[in-house]
Amino acid sequence: MWMYLRCRGHNELKLPKDASPVGAFPLPVLLRTAKQFSDYNIREYTRRRAADAFRENRALADAPAAAAAFAKGKQRLEVAKRQAVVYSLYAPKAKSVMELKVQ
Amino acid sequence: MALSRRLLPLFLRRGAPVPARALSTAAAPAAVASEDDEEAITVKGVRISGRPLYMDMQATTPVDPRVLDAMLPFYLSRYGNPHSRTHLYGWESDAAVEDARARVASLVGADPREIFFTSGATECNNIAVKGVMRFYRERRRHVITTQTEHKCVLDSCRYLQQEGFDVTYLPVRKDGLVDLAQLEDAIRPDTGLVSVMAVNNEIGVIQPLEEIGRICKEKGVPFHTDAAQALGKIPIDVNRMGIGLMSLSGHKIYGPKGVGALYLRRRPRIRVEPQMNGGGQERGIRAGTVPTPLVVGFGAACEIAAQEMDYDHRRVSALQQRLLDGMRAQVDDIVINGSMEHRYPGNLNLSFAYVEGESLLMGLKEVAVSSGSACTSASLEPSYVLRALGVEEDMAHTSIRFGIGRFTTEEEVDRAIELTVHQVKKLRDMSPLYEMAKAGIDLKSIEWSQH
Repeated sequence: MWMYLRCRGHNELKLPKDASPVGAFPLPVLLRTAKQFSDYNIREYTRRRAADAFRENRALADAPAAAAAFAKGKQRLEVAKRQAVVYSLYAPKAKSVMELKVQ
Repeated sequence: MALSRRLLPLFLRRGAPVPARALSTAAAPAAVASEDDEEAITVKGVRISGRPLYMDMQATTPVDPRVLDAMLPFYLSRYGNPHSRTHLYGWESDAAVEDARARVASLVGADPREIFFTSGATECNNIAVKGVMRFYRERRRHVITTQTEHKCVLDSCRYLQQEGFDVTYLPVRKDGLVDLAQLEDAIRPDTGLVSVMAVNNEIGVIQPLEEIGRICKEKGVPFHTDAAQALGKIPIDVNRMGIGLMSLSGHKIYGPKGVGALYLRRRPRIRVEPQMNGGGQERGIRAGTVPTPLVVGFGAACEIAAQEMDYDHRRVSALQQRLLDGMRAQVDDIVINGSMEHRYPGNLNLSFAYVEGESLLMGLKEVAVSSGSACTSASLEPSYVLRALGVEEDMAHTSIRFGIGRFTTEEEVDRAIELTVHQVKKLRDMSPLYEMAKAGIDLKSIEWSQH
């Protein structure tokens, strides 16, 4: 539980001081935000897309492209955080059949 | 430590924190019945355990969260009218509209000045068909279209016929494609418009736009295409395809409902008579305040579609293959309506032989799909598109359209296969026609006795 509280305490992404931004935005951060979506389809899509983008951008060699990809990833993270809140405010009472236990 | 162990499941609970629905002033959905099972939905006498999995992407698509994020500021603080010239609210709205216009234009290879925002593809089709013909009514009296067009195009053509124009409804081949030789023959000196949709909404067939554009350019006839289902899914280039007018829709590319755009070529300039008169907005082509939030959403959706087109296309093709293979492995006598080679993969229209369509749909309540005759909703007659393909009545009645999109998952496809196969097998077990067919009797040779 203390580990959970420690993670929840972070609002800003704190990178170590000597880290140069690599092409891919850190995956665990993206996945953590993806998990917060209340909608099944959006949650799965965000998770999948983040993983695929991470894999693509990890191999970026030249600095400008890598910096651009990192900035884009950061912007996408901000969008995802806001929308996770909006979706949860209007989540329907009934869940998708995909989320219910298999009969 | 003991306290934390008890609280741990709470924190590890899947999904979102408890929704703050009490803060929402939106009306509660009328369909929810409060019974002992909190999550069951009872609608039209049927009880479903949860929200169905959505496989009807051709009817409409969910709004992408990135699109919603772009739209919300314009509902909250930046609510100005884009045509107000005297204050910040108007200027920022106008800037947003022009920005969205540029995004839409870049997705189709057009100039932003050639894009006019409307309320949807239906309005665009009306402006294109009726507007062009009425503008050139002195010299051009003939329209060519196909039998598989969307209802709004066919209806507009019928309206023109009442006004005295001639309309040729070209037949299509068995695979849904238009015959180019027939099209070329049908063009007369007084033909004012050729209208062929890019991707059909019912069967998913992609028409040969480049060839049609080339023929129309040679003959000097404007080429209109309804690209509502094609936008953002297949690459469109208005110059390469020789397109003169194009109808675009927002809610088919994960954008908001209620917005669309009409592409109108500038060189050579194609003129239309406006269908909506008023304050001269959108250069007089379509009067009325441009709805900034919707237009911004449409622009964002187009930008996302441009970035994600390859990724989505690969994924959707794989999912379609999975769906098809999964179905074919477990049931036979499945017919695919429309060409497989010239098809947008996210649209799969299948007919199951020896199964009655309505009963199949009634059993598929946990999958949101559409039948072939969805567009002719109230009537029981089979879809005119399938009839134009030459599909027989019984197969047309039993057709189901599966729509796969950006947010469809593999598990959903597997569940759809499972549910459909289960229902088809159940119905076929009950069907005397299936028994006879399996015994080798030719159903067409049966003489049914009259009572």
